[in-house]
Amino acid sequence: MFKELDPILHSQLRLAVMSLLISVKEAEFTFIKEKTNATAGNLSVQVQKLKEAGYIEVVKEFKDNYPNTTCHITSQGIKAFEEYVKALQEYLKVGQSK
Amino acid sequence: MEDDKPLTEQESLALITRMITKAKCEYEETGVSALLWGSIITFCSIASFIGQETGTAWLDYVWFLTIAAVIVQVFIAVREGRKKKYRSYDDATMSGIWISFGISMFMFSFYASNFNIPHVNVLFLIVYGIPTFATGISRHFIPMIWGGIACWLLAIAAVYTPLPYPLLYTALAAQLAWFIPGLILRKRYLKAKGRNV
Repeated sequence: MFKELDPILHSQLRLAVMSLLISVKEAEFTFIKEKTNATAGNLSVQVQKLKEAGYIEVVKEFKDNYPNTTCHITSQGIKAFEEYVKALQEYLKVGQSK
Repeated sequence: MEDDKPLTEQESLALITRMITKAKCEYEETGVSALLWGSIITFCSIASFIGQETGTAWLDYVWFLTIAAVIVQVFIAVREGRKKKYRSYDDATMSGIWISFGISMFMFSFYASNFNIPHVNVLFLIVYGIPTFATGISRHFIPMIWGGIACWLLAIAAVYTPLPYPLLYTALAAQLAWFIPGLILRKRYLKAKGRNV
């Protein structure tokens, strides 16, 4: 029986954001935007969804007198990401053996 | 990048790999600090060696240049920190190691200037090896691992070498531990920067 892929993570932009955040301790919104080539509006919506799912934490503060948003992955997010990758590997294993 | 584009399993895995690689590419160090310290310590060691060989005592004051280098280093660290849009997991560890090293070096210098320690260069070379080797291991950067080992081997050689020749070992250690790795880091950084433009 296949484990269902987490719908929060099984989306192009949200998965890209989570893959970036799993690699670093924390990243600024502009860094994520630059690396994903997403628009600010679209990225904001997806970041909010990840935040509501408890997968990331978003900190808004000021840096050099400008508003700055920083994101970091939570332990719940790490667990969800690991389970997602494990499920993906299972799917791919079956696909290869067919 | 679209938000809800349907993904196949292969596409998901490829996307994860691509994003992790992109984040990894950002890890490139600028190499400026390593070049700064490699140059300063080489210059001071050679000048001090010439001073001792020719009996020009004032040349020993060249080591005060390291205080100016600390100020430049703080400026570089603040500027690079401001520019950085992410923090990696080992950033704090690396800062801790190099700040402890800097403080230890100044305490060593203070101690050495108050007491007549024979072959003080040996102690300096041993301490140079610690943060260099630790950084090499932590960042999987082979030139710094060899740089750290070179410092320790030169420390052993310095024990059996008459003064003031160990000062030349210090210059060589600065080249192997910092200047050459700094050049490699700089080259990598400029290459990665060119790729990201």
